[in-house]
Formats: sequence, structure tokens, C-alpha cells
Amino acid sequence: MSKPVPLLKVGDYEYIERANQACQGCAGAIVSRIVSKVLGANAVRAEVACCGPAFMNIKNPSIYAEVFEGAGALMTGISRGLKKIGREDVVVYGIIGDGGTVDIGFQGLSAAAERNENILWIVYDNEAYMNTGGQRSSATTPYAITTTTPQGKFSRGKKEQKKSVPLMVALHGVPYVATASVSYPEDLIGKLEYAKSLKGFRFIHISAPCPTGWNYDPKDTIKIGRAMVQAGLWPLFEIIDGEKFRLTYKPKELKPVREVLKSQGRFRHTTDEEINEIQQQVTRFWERLVQKDGGSLF
Amino acid sequence: MGHWEVMVGNKAVAYAAKLARVQFISAFPITPQTTVVEYLAEMVANGELDAEYVTCEGELTCQTAALGASAAGARAFTATSGPGLLYMHHPMHATSNGRFPVVMAVIHRSVKGMQPDHSDMMSQRDTSWLMLECANAQELLDTGIMAFKIAEDPRVRLPTIFAGDGYILSYTAEPVEIPDQEEVDSFLLPYKSTYPLLPELAEENRNHQLAMWGFGQDPQLRWKLQQDAMDAAKTVIKEVNEEYRKRFGRGYGNGLIEEYKCDDVDAVVLAMGTIASTARTAIDQLQSEGKKVGLVRLKSFKPFPAEEIMRIGEKMKAIGVIDRNISCGNGGIVFESVRSSLYDLDARPKTLEFYAGLVGKEVTVKDIRKIAEKTLRAAKGEKLDNIVEWV
Repeated sequence: MSKPVPLLKVGDYEYIERANQACQGCAGAIVSRIVSKVLGANAVRAEVACCGPAFMNIKNPSIYAEVFEGAGALMTGISRGLKKIGREDVVVYGIIGDGGTVDIGFQGLSAAAERNENILWIVYDNEAYMNTGGQRSSATTPYAITTTTPQGKFSRGKKEQKKSVPLMVALHGVPYVATASVSYPEDLIGKLEYAKSLKGFRFIHISAPCPTGWNYDPKDTIKIGRAMVQAGLWPLFEIIDGEKFRLTYKPKELKPVREVLKSQGRFRHTTDEEINEIQQQVTRFWERLVQKDGGSLF
Repeated sequence: MGHWEVMVGNKAVAYAAKLARVQFISAFPITPQTTVVEYLAEMVANGELDAEYVTCEGELTCQTAALGASAAGARAFTATSGPGLLYMHHPMHATSNGRFPVVMAVIHRSVKGMQPDHSDMMSQRDTSWLMLECANAQELLDTGIMAFKIAEDPRVRLPTIFAGDGYILSYTAEPVEIPDQEEVDSFLLPYKSTYPLLPELAEENRNHQLAMWGFGQDPQLRWKLQQDAMDAAKTVIKEVNEEYRKRFGRGYGNGLIEEYKCDDVDAVVLAMGTIASTARTAIDQLQSEGKKVGLVRLKSFKPFPAEEIMRIGEKMKAIGVIDRNISCGNGGIVFESVRSSLYDLDARPKTLEFYAGLVGKEVTVKDIRKIAEKTLRAAKGEKLDNIVEWV
């Protein structure tokens, strides 16, 4: 079980160069910075197509392979290869986008989880293909405007639900699955440290607001990330061995989703009815999670 | 030295990987390759081979995982056929772009049906992989071992395919000499990656990474370096083939091509893979009848031995090329490369194109006799109605 770790306890050493190509206010770059600090020098980073390479200028050895769908396999190969040359001590991790995790990389994700590969899969979830200009993924929240789900006479934005990938991964029975947010670094660092202490397949899915794609002021990234969690749009939890479920952030009452949704350009067109629909889904999902809290996932 | 066993081609492939002491194997079934990874699974399961054996969920993953393992610093092997090879296409480019010397066995299966032809490998023609073609089970074993040495040579550092026709080789048992492990060990030293993904080599890795990305350099440079490596591979293949011949008593022509009874002939038939084995019988028969026609077997498709083809072309009046593949809208891929190789000769031989053996269509000695006789007619200056023929 993870324990929150104060941000100040993380070392000063920066693994990510300050000069990188991330947009202003990019939560993915923050994820990259925090993860690399917590994992430290004895780690290897794998990367596939996403915004990740923009903030990959890193002091860990790293590999980028032009295989969007191949994150699970790439990390598998590195982990097994290092094992074979006697270097199982090295942490193999990837900072992978939502598309490379929940869509095109999903088959490889499931396979790597099923084999319980000794890897740490970090998702920074900005809820669309932001590197290519913001096309919807199956991680996009309903009604969000993306460049492939625009608002128009015949379209209200994204039609489908957000895929619950952390729960799906947990059902593989892997040692550790968690959700986290850049706006709750203590929670995130605690989860990273706990994951680092384990062997086998570990998966941390991090909400990473994107000012460019979500259409808000870059200074508000942390504020919006926090509001998402407080509204239940991104519940923070962890699941150990595919069974023990625990909410790591549990407010007495969720804030309404309206404010945080309306603070983003991608939801500005939504009607009261549509907001209510999202609200009902969020409330229902949250209630189900609360029932599971402290117990077994199923 | 070594011992003999009767085995099918796929087992010879597995033995090649075992004798090369591969450290990583990614496995996924597809007919007719499947038994390769089954034999290897047994070898790993009973402790004969100490390798990480990963049962992947598809060929794309097999290739990507092999890439990762090779990057980490392990000797990596995988095997596939036909549509499985097509599914690997995307990561195959990444493997060559990273200059990771993964070795892969391709047990040919057509991309238009279950039976063999070379359309699977030809569909990967431009992925910057070396492609070495075999004609029997022994050659699969020998070429497999050589493939690692060639791929890992610092002058090459490119991934390598060694291939054989599915069914015809994969499931046909032949006597095969298995070299002793100690002898293979002294021929093929343990793999040492230039840039293993290790924390203590972070700086070197970063430079390698930048090179893979092409930062701060001519964007075309990666392609140029891969082309240079292919050129260098011609020398390396010849050297490795000679060394293998010295140590194990078997080599395959000069490593790039194998000439069979080509002295004092006016024409040659040129073929790749098992068709070239059948062709030997046809050539034997024709020469015993006094007909001046020989055989050239293309052993290395990539790099393509243009110089050797030129040298042969200089002496011949006609070359009949058998293609077990076709690039529709253009023609036979081997034919195209052969013709292109001959272009700069002052006096070029006639070239004839024969499509044969596609999707497993049987190619008999009689068929090849006809091909050779037609090529001889062209050599004698006879005007032919059609230089392209579907056999």
C-alpha cells in the first residue's frame, strides 16, 4: 500500500532538461520530471509516439522506437534483455500517452500485463492525441470537442464513454495499478515509490491536463487537475494484486462537475442536460468505487 | 567434429538459434514457422538453452520485443512466416533504424495463400534488413549461425533475415550435421552491444538516441549509413562464409551467390531458394546432353550482389531469371535487380523472366529444363515472341 510522500523529500537533481519542447503548462512534462526524480539514476526509459519525446531530454538512458503500438513489447524486450545480461536491478519504465495505452497500444498492454513483465508503465492521460493536434482517443471524456469530434449541426462532441483502463489492467491480476494526478504530487510520489519497491507489472495512470488541447490558460493546469479529482472526474485509487482496492483521496462530498468542465474550452458548448448526464455518470461511478473502498475489487 | 541427425528444416533453424546461444526469443505461432518456436520452447524448457523465451500476443510484438532486448544488450532471435512477417513491417524499420542486430528466421509463406513463395520477404524489401536465402536444412542451420556474426559485425550492425521455403524445407527431413557447441562458440563470440541500455552508459545512449532521431544531422544520413552498411555487408558476408567454410567444411558459393556448373556455358538460369536445388538436376541433365547452360543461385538478396551478377553477365549471352515473387505493375523483383545490375555492361546478355512457384505451385525438373532451353535459344540469338513467361 502506498503512503503519500511530501514533494520536498524528492531530490533536487533534475533528470529532465529544462530546455524541452513541451507546451507551456504541460502536465506531461511535470509527470516526466516527477517520475524521473523518484525512480532515480538506475532506470531506463522507453518511449513510443506521443508528446513524450518532447520532454524526453533525459539523463537516464532511454530509447524511442517509432512503434506507436509497441510500448508493452518494447519494455518487455528491454526488461528481459537486461535480465539476461545480469542487470535486473535497473528499473524499466515508460511514459506513455493515453493513445499508446488505451487505443493502439492496448493489445500489447494487456499482453505485457498478462505475462506480468517486470516493467513500470506510466500513463500521462491528456485525453486525446495531443501530439498530432488533439484528436479523440477512447480516454476522451464524453462531449469533449476534439479535432475529430468537433461541435456542429450533427455533432455534440465525443459520443462515447471514457474507457476504464486502470480497472481493466487490474483484472489481469498484476501486482500494482494506481491512478494519480499531477495536482496531487504527494499521492503520486507515494505511489511511484511503492511501485518502485515491487517487481512485476506495475501501472500508474496519471491525469495530465493539457492547456493546448483542452483549451484553457496554461497557468491553470494544476488547478484544473485538482478540480477534476475533487469533482470525481478522476478518482484517485490503487489496486494491489488485482484485488485490494483503496481510494487514496476520499472527500466527504464531490464538487459538482460543472465548474471544472466549463473552465475548459472543450466543454464550453455543453448544455445543462449534457452536464447533468456527465454528472450522473460520475456520481454513479464514484458511488461504486466508494462501496469497494478498503475491500476487494470484485 | 559435430554429429549427424535427420531433421526437418524448422528443427535446423532452432538448432542454429541454440548453437548461437540466443539470449532472447520472442515466439508467436504461424504456419509453417510454428515448429521453430516449438522446438526452441522445448530446448528452453529442458535446460538445453538458457534464454528468455517470451510468448507474445502477435508478430508485431515479437519484433518490437526483440528490438528492445537487442537494445538492452542481449542476442535476440525471432521467427515468422507470410502474414506474420507483414504484421512485423512497422517495427522492422525501427529495428534497422536503431541498428539492432536482431536475427529472424523467415519460413516462406505466400501473402496470398498458405503455400510458399517469396512474397512475404519481398514485401519487406526496403526495411534495411539483410536477407539471406537457403536451399536446404543444412544451409538453414549454417546460415542461421553465420547470420548472427554478420549482423553483429561493427561494419554492418543491421538486422538479418535468413529464410527458407515453407513446407518444402520446414517439414522435410534431411540429414544435417550439427556442429559442436565449442566450435560454434569459437566462431561466434558472445554478443556485445555497442550501446546497451545501462545507467552507466546514459551519455552514450543519449548520443545514439539523437542519431536515431537524426537531431543535428543531415536528415538523409540515417538512410545513407544503412546503405553504406549494406555495401560493407557484402565484404562481411564473404568473409564470414569463408571462415565458416574453413572451420566447418561448408560454405555457400562466395556467400552472396553460388555458381553451379557455370564454366564454359553460354547461358545461366538464376534462381533463389529451393527452386535452385531442383534446378541442379535439370542443369545436370542438360549438360550431359551437351547443352551449355549453368545455374546461379542467389544466396544474398539483400545486399544484392550486383558486382557478381555483372561479372557473370559479362560472360553470358542470356540469363533466365526465375522469380518466386512478383511486384504487380512492375514485374519480378529479382529480375528487376538482375537487369539493373547488367545495365552498365558494354555488351549485355539477353534477360528472360519466368514466374514460377508462386503460392506453392510445383516447380519440376521438367519446368526448369524448359526455362533453361528457352534461355539457351535466346543465347543463340533466336527472336522470342515473349521474354516473360508464367511457368
